[in-house]
Amino acid sequence: MTGVAVGAPRRTAALTARTGTAARWLAACTAALVIFSAFILANDVDPLSVLGTIWTSVLTEPRQVEQILVRATPFALAALAVVVPGRAGLVNVGGEGQVIVGAVAAAGAGMWVGADAAPAVAVTVMVLAAVVAGGAWAGIAAALRLVGDVNEAVTTVLLNFVALYLMLFLILGSWRDDAAMGQATSPEIGPGAKLPLLGTSGVHVGIVVAVIAALVIWFAFTRTTWGFRLTVVGGNPEAARRAGLPVTVLLLSALVLGGVLAGLAGYVHLAGAEYKLRPTFGANIGYIGFLASWLARHRPLAVLVSAAAVAAIAITGNTLQISAGLPAASVNILMGLVLVAVLGWTSVRKADA
Amino acid sequence: MIIDILSGGVRGGTSLLFAGLGETISERAGVINLGTEGAMLVGALGGYAVTFHTGSPWLGVLGGAAAGALLALVHAVLVVSRGANQYASGLTLFFLALGLTALFGVDYVSRQITAFTPVKIPVLGDIPVVGPVLFDHDPLVYAGYVVVPLVAWVMFRTRAGLLLRSAGERADALGVNGYSVVAVRYAAVVSGGALAGIGGAHISIAYANSWFENMIAGRGFIAVSLVIFAMWHPVNVLLGAYLFGAALSLASVLQANGVDVNQFALNAIPFLMTLVVLTVLGKRTLRKAPDELLKVLETAKA
Repeated sequence: MTGVAVGAPRRTAALTARTGTAARWLAACTAALVIFSAFILANDVDPLSVLGTIWTSVLTEPRQVEQILVRATPFALAALAVVVPGRAGLVNVGGEGQVIVGAVAAAGAGMWVGADAAPAVAVTVMVLAAVVAGGAWAGIAAALRLVGDVNEAVTTVLLNFVALYLMLFLILGSWRDDAAMGQATSPEIGPGAKLPLLGTSGVHVGIVVAVIAALVIWFAFTRTTWGFRLTVVGGNPEAARRAGLPVTVLLLSALVLGGVLAGLAGYVHLAGAEYKLRPTFGANIGYIGFLASWLARHRPLAVLVSAAAVAAIAITGNTLQISAGLPAASVNILMGLVLVAVLGWTSVRKADA
Repeated sequence: MIIDILSGGVRGGTSLLFAGLGETISERAGVINLGTEGAMLVGALGGYAVTFHTGSPWLGVLGGAAAGALLALVHAVLVVSRGANQYASGLTLFFLALGLTALFGVDYVSRQITAFTPVKIPVLGDIPVVGPVLFDHDPLVYAGYVVVPLVAWVMFRTRAGLLLRSAGERADALGVNGYSVVAVRYAAVVSGGALAGIGGAHISIAYANSWFENMIAGRGFIAVSLVIFAMWHPVNVLLGAYLFGAALSLASVLQANGVDVNQFALNAIPFLMTLVVLTVLGKRTLRKAPDELLKVLETAKA
């Protein structure tokens, strides 16, 4: 995004790039942790013991590391869903809705083929449904942008809520699984539709999908004409138009591809981790993906790292709830603080969006 | 039932009205704040907590305003001083608010407060139709009637308003004349956050009379959209807020009247309505946009 530096842009001292970045990151994360500790302390819980428990239970247990990777998978795809439109200067805040719509479509497709469909059939149909639905959901925002000149950041965020209520409408209505006790859910997907685990680990193959997606996008950005044109449009749309680039097509393709990736995120989360739609299905995957993409400064390969980082924070929430009795959503503070620190420390150089 | 919906629109729209006015001020200075949702959340909790501890909902309103202003201050620091991306910063603040209100809100779940109660205005409240729709509400609703012309007057008739609009239209002109763009934008964003905080407080201490996690449920995002098709004018914000308030209250009114409809389909209506209105007005609204804001909104023109 070009017009970001609204205030008078001030040049930071041109620290030598590498060490400077590392130092900033360290400072940013430390600051976030310190402030978070203060908030925990304000709730009469000892922050040091909480952080200690988090360290031992989250980062030293192999099971938990697997959990982090499982959580990171949809985050990475949802972050890529922000990275691709971002390359063209578009802001996709609609990952949340696109993820949900993708999962809803996948679940619907799974029901349509039936629980005992052959794995190959079930997987193909579900992936297609998720991808088409996610792309179409983003396509609505793209169309509104192109036809009505409506800002996509605003429309995508509104579509998130429409998607959420659509899902709730279905799982508390006609899709409700009568066999399930308590919480309303959709019926579980068939055994053949569940994503297989990698070897003997608890990590499903979705992570391979995410890594491949990141590699493909990196390749597309750096080695293809499409990627180059996208970068030009993102840098200066007017110049791109004068150069005869098909700006409309490029913008549309970027946002729709973003939706496709988010739909895929919804699919892997459904077929690899949740197996059914619950009222809490989205669980902020799209929003967290948005933050992860900013953490990675919109670089496709760095997204893999930042997704793992935010997944670790998200997993921490369970630990917080169990060991300290604090609400799981408290970790959103940490998530927010890290981002505040990163945005505050690093934005002035050049905001690349 | 029509009267119920209209009256519900005014009551339910009041939070949108305050948040929308706040966002209008902020955007008039050239800063869009998606963190309005977050400011409303902390405002709702801040208002509830202060009301609970002091027993006075009026102090609660101040608490909500202070909480919203503080959160918006972070946005101002990031966006105005550090040049961070406005959308990223706004969404970050939404997350921060989600976490903060979850952490500090647990103690206030299912606690009783002395909330605002409807005060029927004598004479005016007895007018048929108009009375129950406009003059039988809690004090914050009436405060909304006063704040709209006040904001409009400040914005278009005072020096402060001129500075605000200059910051949004021609920031460099402000600098040339010896004023600080940074200071004006800080003031705009922070006061916008305070108003959003009051909007949030209205939900917790006058509308729902309770506190629960993530209780704003997207109203802040509606408020941000509202400002765009209200074409950055306070009076239009009022009309839009009540319109969407009516859409928001539709579900409860219909249920209270025994109409059997799916609640979630109704919940989606305000969001769908916002999308439709934005599309229909589309280009017409953007022509009215403050120039500096256009730089943010139109990153890539199709």
